[in-house]
Amino acid sequence: MNGKQSPNLVNLDVNPCKMCMPMGAVTAFYGIRGAMTILHGSQGCATYIRRHMATHYNEPVDVASSSLTEQGTVFGGEANLLKGLSNLIALYRPEVIGVCTTCLAETIGEDVPAITRRFLEAHPDCEAKIITVASPGYGGTQNEGFFASLRAIAEQTVVPSPPNGKVNIITPQLSPADTRFLKSFLAESGLDCILLPDLSENLDGATEKRYQRLKSGGTPIEEIGKMAGARMTLEFSEFPRDGQSPGAFLRDKFGVPLTHLPLPVGLRGTDALADAIASLGGAVPAEHKKARGRYLDAMVDGHKYTSKARAAVFGDPDFVLAVTRLCCENGVLPAVTATGSVSPALRDALRSEISDCAEYLFADETVILDDCDFSEIERACSDMGVNVMLGSGDARRAAARLGIPLIRCAFPIHDRVGGQRVRTLGFGGSLSLLDQTANAMLELTEHGYRGEMYGRFYLADEDDDARSDAPENTSAPAATKSAAARTDSHPCFGENACENARVHLPVAPACNIQCNYCVRGYDCANESRPGVTKGILTPGEALIRYQKLKESVPNLTVAGIAGPGDALANFAETRETLRLIRGYDADVTFCVSTNGLMLPQYAAELIALGVSHVTVTVNAVDPEIGAKVYKYVDYMGTRYDGAAGAAILLANQLAGIRILADAGVVVKVNCVALKGVNDAHIPYITKTAAKLGAYMTNIMPHIPVESSAFGSLDRLTAAEIDALRDECGADIRQMRHCRQCRADAAGRIGHDVTAADAVPEPESATSERLYAVATRGGTLVDTHLGKADAFYIYSSDGAKTRYVETRKVSRYCSGECGETEDKWTVLLRAVGDCDAVISSQAGESPSRRLGECGIRVINSREKVETAVAKAASELLIKF
Amino acid sequence: MTERERLLEKYSARVYKNRKDHIVQLEETLDPRSIAANTRAIPGVMTARGCCYAGCKGVVVGPLKDVAVITHGPVGCGFYSWGTRRNKAKPDEHTDKNFVPYCFSTDMQESDIVFGGEKKLEKAIEEAVALFHPTCIMICTTCPIGLIGDDVQAVARRTEEKYGIKAIGYSCEGYKGVSQSGGHHIANNGLMKYVIGTGDKQPKTKFSVNILGEYNIGGDGWEESRILKRCGIEVVNMFTGDASYESLKSAHLAGLNLVMCHRSINYIAEMMKTKYGVDWLKVNFIGVGATVKSLREVAKYFGDAELSARVEDVIADETAAVYDDVEYYKSRLTGKTAGIFSGGSRSHHYQTLLADFGMETVIAGYEFAHRDDYEGREIIPQIKEDADNKNIESITVEPDSEFYRTKYSPEEIVALKDGEYGIELDDYGGMFPEMDDGDVVVDDYNHFETDELIRLMKPDIFLSGIKDKYSIQKAGVSSRQIHSYDYSGPYAGFRGAVNFGRDLTMALYTNAWAFVTPPWKHEPMLEGRIGE
Repeated sequence: MNGKQSPNLVNLDVNPCKMCMPMGAVTAFYGIRGAMTILHGSQGCATYIRRHMATHYNEPVDVASSSLTEQGTVFGGEANLLKGLSNLIALYRPEVIGVCTTCLAETIGEDVPAITRRFLEAHPDCEAKIITVASPGYGGTQNEGFFASLRAIAEQTVVPSPPNGKVNIITPQLSPADTRFLKSFLAESGLDCILLPDLSENLDGATEKRYQRLKSGGTPIEEIGKMAGARMTLEFSEFPRDGQSPGAFLRDKFGVPLTHLPLPVGLRGTDALADAIASLGGAVPAEHKKARGRYLDAMVDGHKYTSKARAAVFGDPDFVLAVTRLCCENGVLPAVTATGSVSPALRDALRSEISDCAEYLFADETVILDDCDFSEIERACSDMGVNVMLGSGDARRAAARLGIPLIRCAFPIHDRVGGQRVRTLGFGGSLSLLDQTANAMLELTEHGYRGEMYGRFYLADEDDDARSDAPENTSAPAATKSAAARTDSHPCFGENACENARVHLPVAPACNIQCNYCVRGYDCANESRPGVTKGILTPGEALIRYQKLKESVPNLTVAGIAGPGDALANFAETRETLRLIRGYDADVTFCVSTNGLMLPQYAAELIALGVSHVTVTVNAVDPEIGAKVYKYVDYMGTRYDGAAGAAILLANQLAGIRILADAGVVVKVNCVALKGVNDAHIPYITKTAAKLGAYMTNIMPHIPVESSAFGSLDRLTAAEIDALRDECGADIRQMRHCRQCRADAAGRIGHDVTAADAVPEPESATSERLYAVATRGGTLVDTHLGKADAFYIYSSDGAKTRYVETRKVSRYCSGECGETEDKWTVLLRAVGDCDAVISSQAGESPSRRLGECGIRVINSREKVETAVAKAASELLIKF
Repeated sequence: MTERERLLEKYSARVYKNRKDHIVQLEETLDPRSIAANTRAIPGVMTARGCCYAGCKGVVVGPLKDVAVITHGPVGCGFYSWGTRRNKAKPDEHTDKNFVPYCFSTDMQESDIVFGGEKKLEKAIEEAVALFHPTCIMICTTCPIGLIGDDVQAVARRTEEKYGIKAIGYSCEGYKGVSQSGGHHIANNGLMKYVIGTGDKQPKTKFSVNILGEYNIGGDGWEESRILKRCGIEVVNMFTGDASYESLKSAHLAGLNLVMCHRSINYIAEMMKTKYGVDWLKVNFIGVGATVKSLREVAKYFGDAELSARVEDVIADETAAVYDDVEYYKSRLTGKTAGIFSGGSRSHHYQTLLADFGMETVIAGYEFAHRDDYEGREIIPQIKEDADNKNIESITVEPDSEFYRTKYSPEEIVALKDGEYGIELDDYGGMFPEMDDGDVVVDDYNHFETDELIRLMKPDIFLSGIKDKYSIQKAGVSSRQIHSYDYSGPYAGFRGAVNFGRDLTMALYTNAWAFVTPPWKHEPMLEGRIGE
């Protein structure tokens, strides 16, 4: 358990979990019959508070203002307050007037009691009882404001009275419905009570023949006056502040015994009230005993579901503690408890309450916050894996962002109706909270459970169907012998063709769709990803480039067009390029990459041009998911966005792949895995590809590009991609050595040569390099090179070292090739793009062979980061 | 005895003296029609008005989605202005920033009031920058700040130096001025001084406009933008619904300013006319007829035959699309009467929409309007400045040496405004001309007057805000929130008109009312007098 989450960020309140004192001060007076309030300050305070209360209670709320202006601020606001009081009396004839201060009045130092005295002197016929309350907005929360008013009402009203056998009941802010429950419960128990305040009627009025602006509900002020004669005060607050507790005032001034009670919520809270009633000689109604039994029954019925709940409880201290107790009684882990008030006492009380519950629920950690805002609560909920929130409607934004249900059970509720009817007290109210919590869990379970079962049993059958179909379709490409041979020697398609080189000719600048992950750019030598090129070539220049490369790279067998836009969106250039190169090199294997939008239109021509390999990037086979991936699709002169665009694209991709596959073209389906967007959907894509006759699929992690729409999307880790490939491998061959090449890449995969002259690309001295570390736990370099079954890959520029991913040393071909790869190939694939391999020990032969590939082998037993940083700085000096 | 007289009769002599000039019952002989406005509210009568902070932060700068608006003061004011106006915004495509759902406050405590809050504010800004990386921060002050002397402008300057971002301090303490109106003015000044004119992003098309005074409540601005876009008119900015600081910077490069809410934004319209030569046109997109009229005026202003033809096509298409719905709702609503109490422009705008459905507006009132909103801008020179107005800074601007350009010469503007089909360019005629004799107009209405007028005028529906809503309904009269639309909307434009018709029909014909009868329908009006 810890305290404040971010002790260094305390000056900015982000999304407050509290309101100001005047709000509470005004609310308290709604529990007094015929009372109205006037706020001494700017009129905005009254207006804001009225609209907030009206929206919650769905009732008219009247708060007058002394409407201080700049003049009043400079010369004192007495004149305004005097005018305000006489107008209020003239228009509404209230029995009681609460004069509450605001930030403004307190800051300019208004002596409100004195002004009120002068008003009464000038208006001796005034029948209204005027009560003044000091409630500056900076003095505390609405909870403190509420008690400040109660205390002021008691102090300024109660007079010595003969014993009257009554019981004083003091409550924090309750909903009208809860107050009605409490009132009738006490009455049925035979206790004669004085409620301070009685909020049961005035903020939950009925539609009547004639609307009365002056409220007739609430405790009459004369009754309040008699509180000194009561035999006991029950104060439903466990956090009485010195000077704020009305009960303490009655005890200290008039000797009325005071008992603090928790809010009657849950089993213990409600029983405490019943006990208190019994000790006062009251008799709890028989119905209450039944209600207790029913509540116990509901606890038993509900525990199967509530025990799944990890709750966040937030709000006023008494509410939080009471609801937390209810949670603990029902096996709901109060994972986050929070109040906007400053209340160390609440923190202590919560700590002792929660620790037992946390222990039997095996929860190592819970969070208790006070003086906090919703940004802290939201963060804590996220950290603690909270799955239900209980409190005010103000958490709606946080709950929506977290995707968890919010049970609205405290003031204010602005986004739902019925704030005035919220029940939390007694067994009825507790049952309402309990049922809502259980039902929230059932809804979560139902949602997840059905999806899980559907996936496990129903979809599994479909998989079998797909598999039995697969061989028939995928055998199509193999029928064309020449294509099969080309496939074997193609560095992307062929599994043992890494020694062969390819060139991507950037002749196709335009694209006809916009993918949200893509930013096509030019001339960034440090960026290696699809869509990036140093420049655009004309078909003639492309030929020259091919010729030059062919001279220096004899094993160049493949010419491809991979953008930087879409090969088919620039079909004239693509066609001309392919025609020219075929004229120069009859044996060349042509390879074209496309998004597939124009495939049905150009497939026949591609086949005629001798294109044997086509890569189609398909990121979704569901238009709804496609709508998230593609921003727009330009087709036949019209721009389509959303699902409409995605549907057109998809239809053309599927039709195009089928045409090519039927004609014996080897089709690879590329698929960019976007975390949270299409990653779960990818198995459907690969299944679809298999059914259409594609040869293999290539699932690639998305490379986040800062200025693209998915720039901030997390990247899938190598392990996640591997898992996807493993899963999809059941349906179709998987490409596992993709390096996501640039649109102008040339040479062997992973060993690109530069564009024009085939000289090895000079590596920038400042660029980050990759290092492979043989380690078991990730902290120390502790593994022998030959025994490592995984490498931790780090990047470092000498100064900054950063973990990139973990790569498994896995066998490439598992069965299909007929023979397994040697250990060496496997190792090279895992660390081929690294500058050095750092291990605790290494054999002589692998060290030499890696060295020949430009990869240094470093022995170390240090901490991983230290070893990488050292290696990086050494290598940098060398370069 | 007129309704006005019966209403005023209830007041004490002193209050009567104050209120009599704020309440007008229109009649033919009343010429010039005149009203008192923008004066101090009477303490204790429960005015509907808010404060200066509400006008500045709540209305004008709050909706700027890429600005971290920090309320400097105790926590209440920030909390109460947190997402309460339904000014919708979608995150900007490029920056993904939308702070509209957030509330930032310095949450000042007693010790900060005693020892000053500048340090806390600076630390809060530091945290806001670290956590949210805004490109612009605006600081809005609440009541105590003006008294304890925190210099938020200086803090803003230091913020700009330290973080290289834009920072603007608004001293919009609640007690300044007499209503929200002062806050609007302060916010307008700040945007004009520090934001507009600092960008250089040219509009993409020939016909570009800003919609001033459109806060996109319930998506109104999006419906307006949809229609204008169909016509081939580019909406460069809304002030300030769904708006961003980044985009407002280049507002001066738009071809024309359309003014929706005259009250809250006319300062910017005027100053942009002076400084950049951008003309402004008072439009009203509330109501089918009003939208058609406004679109034609915009087309006329640009004076392009192709544009005019396209506007006519859109009008024909859109009106045809909503015709059946409007006619149906009209058949249910014709002959009903309405009262409207709103802030500063809606009580005028919605009269045309009500008229579309055959309804008459018999009571209209503004919370914080000035005389020109009732009587037209020609009255401005006659408005006497009082102490409260003088407290709100009024800035003057000069033609900008680089960006000042005019589309029309003064003579051409006169010609555009002239004649039967003249357009309301750089001018506003106010609410009065469109109201009928016998109708009651109330300035700075309060709860007592609302209650009494409902009793006296018996409207079928009352359009007002959340503070009045429940007492109107308790009096047995339908109500519709005209500030936030009871979570409905949009009401603007063609499609919005249909929404409004549906909501009003629902309000008047819902079963609930069958069981509730307003008192005057079954009780004699004892106050009636004979022989007058």
